[in-house]
Amino acid sequence: MGTRSSGVTAPGSRQGARRGKDALTAYMFITPAMLHTLLFMLLPAAAALYFSFTEWDMISPARWVGFANYQEVLFNGDLYPDFWKSVRVTLVYGLLAVPASLLTGFVQAYLIDGIRRGQPFFRLAFYLPVITAEAAVGAIWKWLYDPQFGLINAALGFFGINGPDWLGTPGTVVPALALIAAWQSGSAMLIFLAGLKGIPRSYYEAAEVDGANAGQRLWSITLPLLRPTTFFLTVTGIIAALQVFGIVYVLFSSNIGPEGAGLTYVLHLYLAGFRNGGMGAASAMSFLLFAFILLITAVQFRVLPRQYEE
Amino acid sequence: MQSVDTALAKGRVPKSGRVAPPASRRRSRGVAPTALRLVAYAVLFAGVVVALAPFVWMIATSFKQPQDVFTPTPTLLPTDARTGVWAPTLDNYLQVLGIGGFATAFLNSVIVVVILVPAKLLLDALAAYAFARIEFPGRNALFMVLLATMMVPGVALLIPKVFITQELGMSDSLTGIIVPNVISAFDIFLLRQFFMTIPREVEEAAMLDGASRIKIFWSLALPLARPALAVVTITSFIYHWNDLLWPLVILSDQEKYTLPLALQALVSGRVGQPQLVMAGAVVAVMPVIVVFLIFQRKILEGIALTGLKG
Repeated sequence: MGTRSSGVTAPGSRQGARRGKDALTAYMFITPAMLHTLLFMLLPAAAALYFSFTEWDMISPARWVGFANYQEVLFNGDLYPDFWKSVRVTLVYGLLAVPASLLTGFVQAYLIDGIRRGQPFFRLAFYLPVITAEAAVGAIWKWLYDPQFGLINAALGFFGINGPDWLGTPGTVVPALALIAAWQSGSAMLIFLAGLKGIPRSYYEAAEVDGANAGQRLWSITLPLLRPTTFFLTVTGIIAALQVFGIVYVLFSSNIGPEGAGLTYVLHLYLAGFRNGGMGAASAMSFLLFAFILLITAVQFRVLPRQYEE
Repeated sequence: MQSVDTALAKGRVPKSGRVAPPASRRRSRGVAPTALRLVAYAVLFAGVVVALAPFVWMIATSFKQPQDVFTPTPTLLPTDARTGVWAPTLDNYLQVLGIGGFATAFLNSVIVVVILVPAKLLLDALAAYAFARIEFPGRNALFMVLLATMMVPGVALLIPKVFITQELGMSDSLTGIIVPNVISAFDIFLLRQFFMTIPREVEEAAMLDGASRIKIFWSLALPLARPALAVVTITSFIYHWNDLLWPLVILSDQEKYTLPLALQALVSGRVGQPQLVMAGAVVAVMPVIVVFLIFQRKILEGIALTGLKG
């Protein structure tokens, strides 16, 4: 940034005029973007913090209540009985969904990388679930998980297994959500594939000369060299999992699922704010989530450079 | 496994004993020998079946007559439940488009992306060009502000962003979907990186000929950035076509619903009528799939390049 390649030596008045005019043009170019950022990013960021300290329903004026929202959300089980439940549901979801989609994505990428023909076809097929609208994913999987007539239990029945009522039993809801995440492993697959292509071939050739078999090459070349990729995908995967909303909203038709088993953090936040009018409390929940995600991002920035140094 | 590997290598490269020649290059990474490659293909094809089965079933169900939907063994073709005769129908689509409101919703979604995507592209490209190519006081600081906003998760600012949109008189309107989303810091960042790769000499030559910055941007930089613009266009089309959360918090009038909202309403309103829901899902999903199939190579390579997640 900031290198001048024009090699200007003569500070002639024409050059100066050009520069001044250029700066003016630049401000003109960035005005829409910066104005928008001010209005829809910076102002909301300040407002988000402010509103989290108020009692507010978005209609009547907000009333300052200090830390009451945080206190109620975190510790008042009578007012927000489901807060910690939503935290638990979200964490368990992340714990299952992130490894499930990473593992699936890696296997897909590794196999695609090892074949000669048809790479574009497989890439395409595995990526289709990713570009499908959340609302449609929810609609389709609700029907797939139908206990009696759904395709999933029909497939299980084929192997003699009596499938559960996936979305109707508390214990199977989060695993069912994780399975959907594994089905949408296409983005992890693409990034792993880019990582695999980035590994110099000479490493494999050298290993082959030394008599390393495919398993050994995978274990001692591929996997260690993919660690930055895996780390990146883990962090971004966790951040995305913490914000999962659309699919559960559609699957449970804006309800919370059996015994609240589908109540993810953002669904809880949405219901508290937009359904029950507790915008102040919902703002506090937003801010807690933001702080948590910021923490994860900070950890990523601390760890990642070290990963690359290896 | 290892012996097959080396034997193959020797067979392929008769004269030299080394494994380096180009003919063996492709093989020497990952799964190489024929037997293993066949296993890879088998697993990949099984994966494709799993990845695509939900789509196939969605389409099949959408063409079924109500009495043919709930069969003990699921059928992948719209056939008569009792006789097994081919009996597809378009009724579900007609119903969904009519009383389901999908014709209106489709139009609303089209209006949103047709205005939003080009506007976003132009405004983001303008800012990106200025940050990449013009020197002006405050450039680095303003760009840092923009970068910082990329780290904030969308959910964190949801509530104040809704509030500001409301205060601007844009709630419950398509304008309220378009305007608050018309700038993307990430796209600006992406386009800036691309503009920076354009050789300065090209611009300087044009400047010596007396071309203005605006002219250089419009007829030189933009055409050269076409690959990056294509990626940004297609990814933002997919994103906004699919978006559920923002329209959900902004719109309440059903006449203004976009497709994801209409689909969500269908899922919760038409319990026990999966044929209608699936017809709605097909309407919502198909445009994205078609666009994706046409531009898939560009999209997949662009996404892999930028590490952007679907």
